[in-house]
Amino acid sequence: MPGVTASTNTSLPFVVSDFATLAEGLDYAARGETGCNFFGRKGELRQSLTYREIRDLAVTMAQRFDKAGLKRGTRVAIVAETSPDFLVFFFACQYAGMIPVPLPLTIHLGGHDAYVTRLRSMIVKAGAEVAVGPAEMLHYLKEAAGSLKMIGTPEDFYALPFEGGALRPFTSDEACYIQYSSGSTSVPRGVLVSQQAITSNARGIGRHGLDLRQGDRSTSWLPLYHDMGLVGFCLTPMLSQITIDYLATKNFALRPLTWLKLISEHGSTISFSPTFGYELCVRRGLNGSAKTIDLSRWRVAGIGGEMVRAEILDRFVGTFGVTGFSAKAFLPSYGLAESTLAVTFTPLDQGVEVDRVDQEHFAQTGSVVSVKRNGIGSSRAARPFVICGVPLPDHEVEIRSELNVALPDHHIGRVVVRGPSVMDGYFNDPVATSAVFTDDGWLDTGDLGYMTDGRLVVTGRRKDLVILNGLNIWPQDVEWAVEALEDVRASDVACFSVIEPGEGERMIVVLQCRLHDVAARESLRKKVVATVRKTCGADCQVVLVPPKTLKFTSSGKLSRSAVREDYIAGEIFDLNLAVGQSGPARAAFSEQRK
Amino acid sequence: MQWTADTVQTEVVQLLEPFNPKGIELTPETDLSADLYMDSVAAMNLVMEIEDRFEIDIPISLLPDVNSLQDLVDVVLAQLSKD
Repeated sequence: MPGVTASTNTSLPFVVSDFATLAEGLDYAARGETGCNFFGRKGELRQSLTYREIRDLAVTMAQRFDKAGLKRGTRVAIVAETSPDFLVFFFACQYAGMIPVPLPLTIHLGGHDAYVTRLRSMIVKAGAEVAVGPAEMLHYLKEAAGSLKMIGTPEDFYALPFEGGALRPFTSDEACYIQYSSGSTSVPRGVLVSQQAITSNARGIGRHGLDLRQGDRSTSWLPLYHDMGLVGFCLTPMLSQITIDYLATKNFALRPLTWLKLISEHGSTISFSPTFGYELCVRRGLNGSAKTIDLSRWRVAGIGGEMVRAEILDRFVGTFGVTGFSAKAFLPSYGLAESTLAVTFTPLDQGVEVDRVDQEHFAQTGSVVSVKRNGIGSSRAARPFVICGVPLPDHEVEIRSELNVALPDHHIGRVVVRGPSVMDGYFNDPVATSAVFTDDGWLDTGDLGYMTDGRLVVTGRRKDLVILNGLNIWPQDVEWAVEALEDVRASDVACFSVIEPGEGERMIVVLQCRLHDVAARESLRKKVVATVRKTCGADCQVVLVPPKTLKFTSSGKLSRSAVREDYIAGEIFDLNLAVGQSGPARAAFSEQRK
Repeated sequence: MQWTADTVQTEVVQLLEPFNPKGIELTPETDLSADLYMDSVAAMNLVMEIEDRFEIDIPISLLPDVNSLQDLVDVVLAQLSKD
């Protein structure tokens, strides 16, 4: 049984992200003893590779690519399992001057056709000529890709000759990889990340955001086909010779506490998760592990990837505080794949800071007024927003109006970003690219927010905003409230608005319903309407649908716009209507049809 | 314990019972998502139960091809034969 890789190199000086390309960074990290460890479903060590071993395997694989006649610039689709093979092929591309395209996994029972369609659109859009994936997934790849120049398992590629193959690594002014990001499943958009963008972002994260130091160790269950997993917990640590302990996403989802056990056992200091990861842990609870789990060395518990929800993080501290976990370790951040990964970080060792704003003022004016806890107006409803911090050095964030005019502090508008981490564009997609850049060259993130003393606060997605009778309603507020009901699960709810001619905007709440009894469904519908009314003071129409109706983007976020399109197209309709139920559902349906 | 196709099937049916509140009859043809309304959360819970019961690892890459109860039994048998 091999041991895990060390957290510290014995003789190699610690260098934080001071490299012009990934290959240069890996060459350096390979001179030490740190590396990557892969753990199984119960937290047992499965495989361990030093950066030297990863580099050696990547270099010979790059020679094989050359010997096989693959040209520089070739796109290589790689199924991004959390495995040594993914790292080897990703870095082999760096030494071969070829562009890796990480492909997602899926967990949907019986989702074969949808998955193949998604892979196909990604492979086609990237113009990939090579595809590699584990044996049990090869049939999806073959079905999705049709005929490519080369398609096979890692073993197939390892069997190719390498002697005499040339290395032709990317230079600092070239591309690095393609990251599929936002955008619906059917029309994927691949961010072309350059060597400059990834090394700039890793520098900002390493030096500014996390202040990486000798002895830091990272742990991750984040999928490697997602920017937070790939950039945050593969490329950035490598560029600073930091050891990474990996847990496959599936194993985290099944047994979330394994994440915390790994952090405890191996003395990790840095790990990130969207809010829901912390929520999963809270739901499991400590289960008597309090005595064995020690989270006191966890100095950066990052949160990103979706809106940060302070109340969940408070509950995490409530549950796991006894393990030595410090609330000051929480590090809210903001970013997006179009800016490689990170845009803003809050200061280290500060914890979550919340701006409490006047709910009514906020809803009616599009600007915010902070509410002091004990000041005048404390009786008014306050809406808490988590502050996401300041931009990385050399990066700028502004808030713009719909007319692209810069807005002052405390005014809600479009969040735009500029800096060296921002992409040049989506791969092979000038139309999508020009749609996300302003005329003066800033990236429009598609998010809404405001600034307060140079710090960014994100309030939601622009296009998802529901406006009813002049009231701004954030759909995630409605969704979270409904998800908290009994018989409803996370990711079961989509809220959006439709504009009816002559009627103005109406709010629709689509809810995936597992109840079989017609009366029970109607009772749930009433509860949802009441809850929504309590949450935002507005009425909504509830549409109960079967599980698996809602659509998600390639990064797993709810796609309200896709659900909305399905609704308008008449592809989504109420379960109780389907069984011929009369009553409220029928009435609601006929109303929506008129 | 030496598993056979029959005992695996019996065991899988038992593990599926909590996901079958309506108590429909479970046959090899039962469709997990269409008949039992299993979504990905339920699927992950089922995978965990199965992994723990049979002491096997189920790669999630197999799930898209699992439609029926029989498909699930076949996956378990295939993974058992690997260990």
